[in-house]
This record gives sequence, C-alpha cells and structure tokens, in this order.
Amino acid sequence: MAADTFPKFLDSNAQSRGNRPAIREKQLGIWQTYSWKESRDEVVTIAHGLAASGVSRGHRIAIVGDNRPYLYWSMIAAQALGAIPVPVYQDSGAQELAYVLDHAGVSFAVVEDQEQVDKLLEIKETASSLTSIVYCDPRGMRDYDQDFLQSISEVKRAGEAHKAANPGFYGEEVSTGSGEDTAIFLYTSGTTGNPKGVVLTFDNLISMSEMSVKLENIRHDEDTLAYLPMAWVGDNLFSIGQSYVAGFTVNCPESQETVLADLQEIGPTYFFAPPRIFENILTSVTVRMQDASRPKRWLFDYFMEHARNVGVRILQKESVGLGARFKYWLGEILVYGPLKNTLGLTRVRRVYTAGEAIGPDIFDFYRSIGLNMKQLYGQTEASVFVTMQPDNEVYADTVGKACPGVELRVDPNTREVLYRSDGVFKEYHKNAEATRETKTDDGWVHTGDAGFIDSNGHLKIIDRAKDVGVLNNNSMFAPKYLENKLKFFPFIQEAVTFGAGRDFTTAMISIDIEAVGGWAERHNASYASYRELAAKPAVYEEIRKNIEQVNADLADDPELAGAQIARFVLLHKELDADDGELTRTRKVRRRFINDRYESVINGLYDGSDKVHIEVETIFEDGRKGVSAADIAIMDVTATSAAQLKKAS
Amino acid sequence: MSATERQFGDVLLKVDNITLRFGGVKAITDVSFEIREKQIFAIIGPNGAGKTSMLNVINGFYHPQEGTITYKGNPRQQMKPHEAAETGIARTFQNVALFRGMSTLDNVMTGRLLKMSGPALRYYHQKLANLPVINYLTYPAMWFGDLILDSLYWGPYQREEVKHRKAAEEVIDFLEIQSIRRTPVGRLPYGLQKRVELGRALAMEPDLLLLDEPMAGMNLEEKEDMCRFIIDLNHEFGTTMALIEHDMGVVMDISDQVVVLNYGRKIADGTPNEVQADQDVIDAYLGVAHEADLEEK
Repeated sequence: MAADTFPKFLDSNAQSRGNRPAIREKQLGIWQTYSWKESRDEVVTIAHGLAASGVSRGHRIAIVGDNRPYLYWSMIAAQALGAIPVPVYQDSGAQELAYVLDHAGVSFAVVEDQEQVDKLLEIKETASSLTSIVYCDPRGMRDYDQDFLQSISEVKRAGEAHKAANPGFYGEEVSTGSGEDTAIFLYTSGTTGNPKGVVLTFDNLISMSEMSVKLENIRHDEDTLAYLPMAWVGDNLFSIGQSYVAGFTVNCPESQETVLADLQEIGPTYFFAPPRIFENILTSVTVRMQDASRPKRWLFDYFMEHARNVGVRILQKESVGLGARFKYWLGEILVYGPLKNTLGLTRVRRVYTAGEAIGPDIFDFYRSIGLNMKQLYGQTEASVFVTMQPDNEVYADTVGKACPGVELRVDPNTREVLYRSDGVFKEYHKNAEATRETKTDDGWVHTGDAGFIDSNGHLKIIDRAKDVGVLNNNSMFAPKYLENKLKFFPFIQEAVTFGAGRDFTTAMISIDIEAVGGWAERHNASYASYRELAAKPAVYEEIRKNIEQVNADLADDPELAGAQIARFVLLHKELDADDGELTRTRKVRRRFINDRYESVINGLYDGSDKVHIEVETIFEDGRKGVSAADIAIMDVTATSAAQLKKAS
Repeated sequence: MSATERQFGDVLLKVDNITLRFGGVKAITDVSFEIREKQIFAIIGPNGAGKTSMLNVINGFYHPQEGTITYKGNPRQQMKPHEAAETGIARTFQNVALFRGMSTLDNVMTGRLLKMSGPALRYYHQKLANLPVINYLTYPAMWFGDLILDSLYWGPYQREEVKHRKAAEEVIDFLEIQSIRRTPVGRLPYGLQKRVELGRALAMEPDLLLLDEPMAGMNLEEKEDMCRFIIDLNHEFGTTMALIEHDMGVVMDISDQVVVLNYGRKIADGTPNEVQADQDVIDAYLGVAHEADLEEK
C-alpha cells in the first residue's frame, strides 16, 4: 500500500534507503548527519515520549524555533500519534503567539531554547490550554524548575521506557492514521485582522509534493537548505513533503546569521528564496566587485556583459554562435563558475523564487550566469503550488502555467485569480465564515490576487484584487504593478501611484538617496540634503526617462495601455515606516498616504506645476517635527500604440 | 539575584596587604581582599583609583613591593604573567588586544595554546624531564618533532587538533559568534571584538577570569548581551570572575561582592547593597567628579 501520511513515508524511507542521509545539522562548526534509519529511531522515541506525557490523537502541539532536526522530528512524531503540529513563527511576539496558541487550542509545545520558553511562560497564564512545554536546547535552563517543563532528552528517556512497555504501540498508531487526517495547522499572517489557521490534510500536502517531485524531476540525491521559517507552508512542503516523498537530504543551518556561509558549504542542488534574498546577494556581489582590483573588475564587467547578451539564450538552449559559446565557456571558467562557487550555487540545478515581483535585472543576472531560476506562484491554502514556470519558458514578469492537476481561472469581472486542486485546504480552523468566503462549494479558492493569463498562457499577477481599480477611460489601474515597475529602477526607492476613478494615472516618487547621490557625484552636481537633491531639475529629468520607459512597457499591453503615467512628483522626504507611510515590511499604506498627501494629489490632478506640502514627521527618538516644502510637478509623455508599431 | 542565597566555594585568591609603588607614586596602598570560588567579584572606583593596577598585580604583570597573594593556597609575592596563565588565570583587556589579521576562530584557538603540547612533548614531560644529561638536547628535539608532525596533521596530532578545535567551537557556540567564525577580527565592530576577546580567555578554561572593563564603549544592547554571557558563564560553568567596570548599574546587578578603591586604598568591601549604603563610597563618588555614575543608581 502506498504511504499516505508522513510517518508512513518515514517508515518506507527507513527501509528502502535507511543509510542515506535524511537530515543534517551544523553543530559546533561540524555538519552532523542523521540517516533515514536514525531519523526514524528518533521519531519513534519522541513519539513514545510524547505519548507517555499524555499526547494523543487530536491534540495540538505548537512547534516554535529555528529549523532544527529535533523540531522536524517532533512534528512527525506528533503526526504519528495523530496529534496536529502547529508550527509558529519563531520571531512572533508574545501577543501573536498567545493568539495562535489559544485559537488552535494547543496543549503541548516543543520549542527550541530558553528564549522561546520565556515567551511561552509569559503567555502561559492566559493561554489556559497549554499544559506542557518541551525544550531542545538546555542552555540557560538550569534555574527553571517548573514541573510542566521538560527537556527533549527527558522526553526521550520517558520514550525509551514507554517503548519497552508498549513495543507495538508506534506501529499501531501510525497505521491508524490516514490521508484524510489533518496533517497540520498553518497560521497565515493576514495584513488585516488576526491570523487565520489553515487546516491542511496529509492528502493535500502529499499530492502536491508528489506532483512537484514528478514535474520537476526531483531525485533522492538532492540537497536543500532549510532556512525559511518552519511555520511557512513552503518549508513544510520542501523540507518535509518533498524530502519524504523523494527521499532527499535537508540541511539545517547553524543559525540565522550563518545561512550564507552554510549555503556555500552545503552547495544545495535545489534552492528556494524570496526575491529579497536574491537582491541582497546581488548587491553584496556588486559592492564587493567595486572594491576589487582593477583587472578583476574589468574581467567581471567584460564577461558579465557577455553573459547578459547570450547567457539566457544559452540556458534556454536557443541557437547561439560558436564564437559566443566559446567566450561564454571561457567566462564560465574565469567568472561565472567561481562566482557561483562563492555563492554556494555551483551544484544547484533548480532555483525558485516566489512571494513578490522580482526585478527583471536581478532575474536575468542569475539566469545569465547559468542558474535555472524560475518563478512560481502559490499560497498556503493551495499547499503551495498553483502555477510554475516550465523549463525554457521563463519570463521575469509572469509566474508560469498552472501546475498539473491545478485548474486555474480568472474572474472576468473582478479579475481575481481562482484555482482548484488536490492541494486545496480543508478549512480555516474555527472560522467557517472565512472558509465560505474563500472557498466555494465546488472547491474553487479565491486568491485575493488580481491577474490575467497572457498570450503565452502564463499567469501574470498584477496586484491585490481589492486594490485594482478602473480609470475613467475604462483602463485597468493596478497600483502595485506600476509601482513595482517603477521601483525596479535604481533611482526610485518608493513609488505610490494614483488613478482609480480619475482621468489619468499619476505617481508620487521618493528617490533612492544613495543611487541618486552617487549619480550626482559623478555629474558634479552638489547637494546638501535629500530635499535639495530631490528638487533638482536634472534628477526630475532622469526620473522622467524612467517613467517613459515604464509607459512604453505598458503600451505593449492592451489591458494596461490606458494606465500610463501622465504626471509625477518627487517627494522631499523618503517614505518611512516610522511616519506610518509604509508597513514594517515596506508595503505602501494607501489610505494613510491619500489623507496625508492630499494637497500633493490635488496638485497632480489640477494641472498646477508646483504644490506646497506640509507633513508631520516623527524622528527616531519619538520627537515630532513639521517638514514643509514647495515641490515641482512634471508631465510625462505617454507612448501610443501607433508609436509602438513604428518603433518595431 | 540576592547574594545571600548563593553558595560560594573556598577562597580562590587572597590578597594580603598589597602595596604597589611606581617610584614615589603609590598606586595601591595596603589593600586586602578575598575572592571565593564561583563568585562574580567586582573592583570599582573612580578614575585612577588603582583598579587596573590591581588586576595587573593579580595576573603577575606588576610586582607589588609589599604584601602577598595566595592563589589556590600557594602564597607568592611575584609571578610572571605566563605562570599566571599556566595556573589558570585568564584575562581580557580594557583596550581590545586581539590579533587583528587573524580570524575569530584562530584568535579563540590561541587561547588553547597553553593546553597544546604535542604527544612527543607530553611524553618528554612525563618520562624524560628528570634525565639531566640529555635534557638540553631532547627538549628542542621533541618540540621540533611535534612541530613537524603537527603540520602534517597526522594520527595523534590530528586528534589533538580536533580536540582543541572542539573546545574552541564550544566557546564560539556559547558566545554566539558562529557567523563571524572566519572573519578577520580587525573588520569586526568593537562590541564583537570584545566578545571574541572574552572567547579567547574562555578557551583557556580559566579558574579565575579577570575582566578589565568588559562593557566599556558598548551600546546598551551589547552591554545586555555581555551581562548575560557573564551571568551564564558563572551559572553554567561556575567560573570565578573578577571584573572592573565603570557602569554602576551593571556592577550592582551582576556582582556578588564589590571592593571599592579610592586613591589606591580600599574604602569598602561587601555585597552590592552594603557598598551602596557606605558613606565613604558615597563621598568618594560624590566628592570627586563622578556624580553621573551615582545618579544612575
């Protein structure tokens, strides 16, 4: 019988590939390897230990901490007993943690270290259901004598005794479990309101794991780095789902701070990261190259230029001249190869990114040096996979085609993307209303994202559905899509666009002081402050060129051609989370900005070429001040479809 | 944590009537105190009170003109710093004194040097040291032989290296400096350099750890981290520590016993609470230029 739960997959892996590495952890500077057989032994012992402490079918077990083998094992041990693991973001504050624990009805918690124990002790008084806490790292725990606290080694000792007394217990418990059982609760951080607990079954996770393993030809000898939060659905799918289905090795980094060094040591064959991480890596490469000696810099620039020209085409197996191929081969030896080695991406066969839009420059950089980077689109509610880019059909601005077994459609009225698959979640825990709103009776799930399917059959996500509006010329207005396009230019730090219910689109832009400052230095333009730099006509001119490029891009797309930006203004200050203009994750807070910059928005639409603005700013020490300025407004020309035709 | 609840061991270090003079200047006059095992012991006082001189006397760098120091039951008047190190006294410095071009790991490994002697040299120490005739010849030969075999990273030499590396890694883990393991310390911010210096001292597995202003020049967060390490060290491993510190808040929070020096003389000795209530101490701090320090309390 085919395995239908993760504990059953563990059993079969322990039998079929018992001595192959299942999970590694770097401890005291050295990678410790645990085989599938050893992993199973650990899980069995922990499961017995948990059972001895009173955990049984249906109990909820919170898992809090960084990616550690013991936490993964505890999750599987809980599942073996029919209990439901509830992984929680390790950096969430006590209040959020308390909400999740209480909402999920958690009675047991397995946590990494003293830090997490302290947090749980703080909320234990309010989270009445929590009765017992297990910690993995005993450091600093010497003076804790609460009787509901035990270390993982104590649990294991109790497990050994329990196992000796009940030898057949584990096997029976595992065989009782089935695919329809709830495998896990995953809490998604909503931008509004309390997090919702997504209930996923084994069938959900395993069907999507099997689908992706087959689709992407994932083998048992892959190595991955488990560094993204255990509470995130992706980690459950990559580090447990796919690993257990395909039988590959998961590597746990030493600490959050050492991830890049660990990446280099492990050299994963399969790597996932959100765009932000790829951006950071590229920035650090650029900065280090700027400090390198002149010959090295020349070599790097020369071959990167070549890679930009032909790298992507070579990767996609398109026809490229012999000379260019030879030069690329030389570049591989001199630049690309060593660079990939430094980044730990030499062995990597697949690189995935998802979560938000990735800059085309960044995307092309990685692809041009021969990394098969692809985008995918997914949700917790879908057990990750909705769409993925097939090999050789990779574009920076799409998220790919529907995965096998996933049905996809776009609501013609709201433009909202909907999908249906075997991975679709069972329900939101204790929230029938939200479940009804999100999941239709026949299984379609509302993503809340607006998008459309382009001429290649690829899905393009443009914005949150509720933010998408319509211009008076009936053109679709997708603010975030425009803003992302603007922000991909190095000079533009943040952008806010307006247009819903208006005659044309306008943009409010704050410049990137470092990039523009560097530009000013090279062009001998002196400035004393951000405000002075942002007011320079030459800077306006540069930004205008950027916007015109965006407009030309938009003209290409019949859906969005009418939303070209007509006027813009450069703000005298950076948009700042301290002032409440952005969230802490740097998302624009539209309603707040609409109120605060009302005068600017009016100026953008009433045709004036200058506007006076006065806003209150909050300094880092909490003091308040008023910043006032007269700022100029500039017009931008739109690209018409006719022009576009002429150009091509 | 109240000092009365805590249990301390025997007297580890006893300072008896120490007087230290530089020419005509008396840096320390007739100071006596005792440091017990497992204590966090603090020496405080205004600038120029003789605190660092006192540490330098304890680890043998300065030789007092009068008085004796009894360490682990052995009285002595003079000692060389390397002898102090060999008997288990480690220290950190007011101004960071690390090998700036070397990585964090290598710096911590230098703390293990005293514990490293190759298998050949160990054999010599155990079996051959009493043979006077060949002494002169064998010692360098053994030493040189160890050096050569060590550089080949072979057999017992490899095991030796692994053993010390493991000890160093435990220190790195304890201090949470894994991410800078391979970074040259010269490139690190000051607060981290201080932590690496503590790491090097810890790698010696000292019986007595002397900390000269471990928190000087740190920001609040770095200070909190350092306090936690000091307290953890003391609780987990029972390390005895003598520290000099200017931050009164820190001293009063973490110390078990405080000695106050002023113009080279001891003016108070007791638990933090006793010392804070002492009129001489208040006068010393208020009378001189250190109002701010006291106000913090």
